[in-house]
Amino acid sequence: MISLTSPVETWAHRWPAGLKLGLMSLATVALFATEDPAILGASAFGVALLYASAGARFARAGARQLWPLWPFLVLIALWHGLSGQVAAGVALTLRLLAAVALANFVTMTTRLSAMIEVAAVLLAPFRRLGLSTRALEISIALVIRFTPAIARKGGLLSEAWRARSRRRPGWQIVMPLAALAIDDADHVADALKARGGVLPIPDTDQKG
Amino acid sequence: MAPVDRPDDLLRLEDLRVAHDGCDVLGPLTLDITARRTGIVGRNGSGKTTLARVVAGLQAPTAGRVTISGIDPAKDRRGALDRVGILFQNPDHQIIFPTVEEEITFGLRQQGRSKAEAAAAVTAILTRFDKLHWRAAATHSLSQGQKQLVCLMAVLVMGPRWIVLDEPFSGLDIATRLQLMRHMARIEARILMISHDPESFAGYDRVIWLEGGALREDGPAAPVLARFTAQMRHWGDADDLSHLAG
Repeated sequence: MISLTSPVETWAHRWPAGLKLGLMSLATVALFATEDPAILGASAFGVALLYASAGARFARAGARQLWPLWPFLVLIALWHGLSGQVAAGVALTLRLLAAVALANFVTMTTRLSAMIEVAAVLLAPFRRLGLSTRALEISIALVIRFTPAIARKGGLLSEAWRARSRRRPGWQIVMPLAALAIDDADHVADALKARGGVLPIPDTDQKG
Repeated sequence: MAPVDRPDDLLRLEDLRVAHDGCDVLGPLTLDITARRTGIVGRNGSGKTTLARVVAGLQAPTAGRVTISGIDPAKDRRGALDRVGILFQNPDHQIIFPTVEEEITFGLRQQGRSKAEAAAAVTAILTRFDKLHWRAAATHSLSQGQKQLVCLMAVLVMGPRWIVLDEPFSGLDIATRLQLMRHMARIEARILMISHDPESFAGYDRVIWLEGGALREDGPAAPVLARFTAQMRHWGDADDLSHLAG
């Protein structure tokens, strides 16, 4: 399974989740405010330094997680290359890379429960209106936990296909993958229910 | 964290029936269980997992009643949290969080404990299993046996009076199975365990044998297991595998 957590404890793990998410949001807004490839290039380099500062092992794990981005980057480069807007293409690529890498850095160095707590604080106004935000908080955890799990299931299905075919699998594995995802959802629902589910348990959200 | 062993703990099934799509899969079943260790055996499709789910309150019976230490586990979910915990067959279906600590903390927070209380309880359970160094470990990086142990700790930490184990050893090697069995033998809560392996019931008081959703035998572990094993060997020579349901 692709891991969204870091293989090692870094300095960034000790920073509060709210601060990291806040800084990341500001940086992302800043990235979208400029079209200058030089500034965007410097930003991407800065993010690379951020990964390097957390150690070689961390940086390698981070690079592995960003690798799936390459088809998108190639697509952007091709499109802008063909339409002659090279500078815009470079800017877009650098911006995308810097923003995603920064978000990935925060994800890798923040515990999921800390992330959910930030969400709980931000959702406080809705709770005051009498809405339960617990389901939304748990959903965030589930998306982060199960995206890689479903990707792995897709990998297994394509192996099952290749074991009996000379051709590569295509759209044919989409339906069984959807069925597996629904099956997984059933299991997770059980796991949640077995430990209280998303019952609006008094004070749980606010306590601590 | 150790749950108190209450002599009055009783699991009562009254005329329990479960049907899926109008087809009976379990019951009618009437049983009183008080033993500290009860085993459930039976072939695939005999209703064992359905029984486990109903006892843990994950599924409501179609008819009849389940009472576990005084509550209906499907209706009173809050009450069920400190009465019954369940360990699924596949730990990958049970682990929700990316780290061991978060996985164990989840149930405690669900019970309404504060962050500090939950952290102390996590330390206590990890210490009890001599696994304090697992605290920050990523759950996906653990072996199957280690995952199963994390699930067990996550259930035990909530202090349930009953623990339902649904084939907890399937897919594990013999050494891992023996180690897990040793951990389970030390559990003070009452255990209801489903297994295909007669050896995993060492030290069990009572065994219930289900066949086609109905009670086939019920009694002291050793004689029931002996007859179950003999019957399985007998059926093993036949070819009912070719029979299609429906």
